[in-house]
Amino acid sequence: MNNRIIQAYKQAPWRVQIQWIGLFLLALVLITAIIGIYLNVSAQAATSGRMIQFIERDSEEIANEIAELTANLAKAKSAERMLERAEAMGFRMLDPAAAVYLEIPGFDPSTDLELAPPRVNTISESPIIRSAYKSSLWEWFVKQIWQMPASSLEPAGESVP
Amino acid sequence: MNKQSLWRYVFVTAACAIFGIAIVVQLVRINYTTYAKELLEKSQDYQGVEKTIYPPRGTIYDRSGHILATNKIGYELGIELKSVVDPESIAFATASILENMDYAAIYQIASTEKREIENRYFVLSSYVSKEDIEELEKLEETYALRRTETKSFKPSLSGLVWTPMQQRTYPEGTLAANVLGFYNYFSRETAQGVYGVEEAYNRLLTGKPENIYLPNDPYLVEVLPEINPGASLVLTIDREIQKMLEDTLAEAIDWSGAVGGTIIVADPETGEILGMASTPFFNPNAYWEYEETFPGITPYNRAIGTAYEPGSVFKVITMAAALDSGVADLNTTYNDATGVYWVANSWPIYNWNYGAWGVQDMTGCMQYSLNVCLAHLAIDLLGPDLFYQYLQAFGFGRSSGIDLASEANYPLRIPENNQWVELDLATNSFGQGIAVTPIQMVTAVSAIANDGKMMTPHVVRSVVDRGQQYDVAPQVINTPVSAETARTLTDMLAIALEEEASIALVEGYRVAGKTGTGEIPTELGYTSSQTNTSFVGWGPVDDPKFVVYVWLEKPTISQWGSEVAAPVFRDVVEKLVVLMRIPPDNIRLGLTSE
Repeated sequence: MNNRIIQAYKQAPWRVQIQWIGLFLLALVLITAIIGIYLNVSAQAATSGRMIQFIERDSEEIANEIAELTANLAKAKSAERMLERAEAMGFRMLDPAAAVYLEIPGFDPSTDLELAPPRVNTISESPIIRSAYKSSLWEWFVKQIWQMPASSLEPAGESVP
Repeated sequence: MNKQSLWRYVFVTAACAIFGIAIVVQLVRINYTTYAKELLEKSQDYQGVEKTIYPPRGTIYDRSGHILATNKIGYELGIELKSVVDPESIAFATASILENMDYAAIYQIASTEKREIENRYFVLSSYVSKEDIEELEKLEETYALRRTETKSFKPSLSGLVWTPMQQRTYPEGTLAANVLGFYNYFSRETAQGVYGVEEAYNRLLTGKPENIYLPNDPYLVEVLPEINPGASLVLTIDREIQKMLEDTLAEAIDWSGAVGGTIIVADPETGEILGMASTPFFNPNAYWEYEETFPGITPYNRAIGTAYEPGSVFKVITMAAALDSGVADLNTTYNDATGVYWVANSWPIYNWNYGAWGVQDMTGCMQYSLNVCLAHLAIDLLGPDLFYQYLQAFGFGRSSGIDLASEANYPLRIPENNQWVELDLATNSFGQGIAVTPIQMVTAVSAIANDGKMMTPHVVRSVVDRGQQYDVAPQVINTPVSAETARTLTDMLAIALEEEASIALVEGYRVAGKTGTGEIPTELGYTSSQTNTSFVGWGPVDDPKFVVYVWLEKPTISQWGSEVAAPVFRDVVEKLVVLMRIPPDNIRLGLTSE
């Protein structure tokens, strides 16, 4: 009797096989998806890392080039060179007796040199790289989980900066 | 599934499992072998490098923004041992192209044993010029061609590496070198500013070097911490005025036969130094030639580094003390009947020409530069206490506080010192027996030109750091005399110059000033005929915009300040008024009254 009941409710062997295969494939797809996402994020992180290295190298090269050009420009505009060029162009030193003085209202020759704005309070800048690119997938996932309740508990209304 | 198929599955599974287990066992085994530590250490070399990042040194500008000191590209040259293929070629190339490179020493480094496994790096030179690196690059190209032709690994510069970085340069050459100082950059670890602004502001200019770890693993790469460049400085020096002063000083030394000299131009209202020329001139781009340019005890900057007996220019201070204390006024007279003043009935004081000048008022005493008159003022009217109080109020006996390194200071000998004698009071009154630096004289005299207010002399006008500019505010050191005294004395000295028809007079501009001829002491006393000739003057008298100090040491053309230093003062002022855009008095006062 019992065998009959079991036999009546027992699934056909091919159905069981298909279920197992289905479960296996599902797991495989999930694992593949996770591996795929992980590889994708890792590749992005690695690419960003390389980009940073290249940009920093470029930045250093540019800084050196700017320094070189600035030094060359300063040399080309040095007092000695400017005097030589002025003389070559036919200028001559002013004879004080021949000077003509004019009053120009509003002109102040003693204006202070300003190379930068005067001192003010500064606000620290935000980081350049987003934290998502600096953490592993697992770290990112955990962070999102922890952030979720915090953001959902935040009261609605005006936020204070 | 039949038994045969099952056996096959079991066999393949078992083979894979054994292979996997073998890998795991091997991984574990490697970690416990004697080579594990060595392997771990070796792997560290490939994981990244520790590096010190030196921020670029700050730029130095003149007051108009012209660059006086900046950085240019230079290269660090080193040997990376693991990449060395041909030590002979490396040693030959570096020794033949670069100066101060020894073939044997480089060969020894490049051929270090076990170089194949050692990831070691040797610095050959911290700074190599762009031109030298270009020559090395050309040589490497030639070697590459030769290797292709001969199909061999040699000759090769593989392992010789050059890394670009910034090195100090002074685009104006010798201009203002005595103010700037220099930066001894050959060894980056010990590099620092020497003399002048470079030393005085070394920490600000250098910035803060950072030690960082640079991983090769891209996953570990992070943005480098923000490294601020060294602060930049804007000086009070005006490049055009500085050049004019250096040219004038060079001509004056050539003409007068002096062994050295200095000229300072300052703004009495603020204490700003507009120009400071001093011999010998020096090119800080070749700072390693320092000892040849400054042999022995030659000061780097005479204007601040040499104390000397100034002579009669110091009478300005004595007269200021006498007028301000009220012991004398414009109408006070002195009868120079004999041309000699006896100190404590023991020591005679004579005038410059050993003559007697009769009855003179205070203007006459200054006009004819009478030593006996000034000795009388100091001893009979002021007395030692009051006289030295004024000297200290004018800043003598202590540093002027100028923001330049290596300022000299000669202590003031006062009655409290055991060595002081009454004769000192007499000789000090006319600038003998007392040693001062030119900058101390300029600072003190600026008080007379600035209504009695003595300003701190300074050469830095602004500091630019992290994108912000900090301006240096002028500071009053002291007010040694009243504004009334200062104006009275200025007028007195202007009249003295005019009545004397001094060579120092400048057409169109009313100036006040005083000559000085200081005898140079030897071991036997004042026996030398050599002198220090000086002139201090300021103008325009109604609203002084400049103080000019000239000092020429041991001129041969004449021993008198009135003949050597005074005409140099006139030359300087004639050019200075054009550069400072100061119209002649009649035009300026006319414009003001309008």
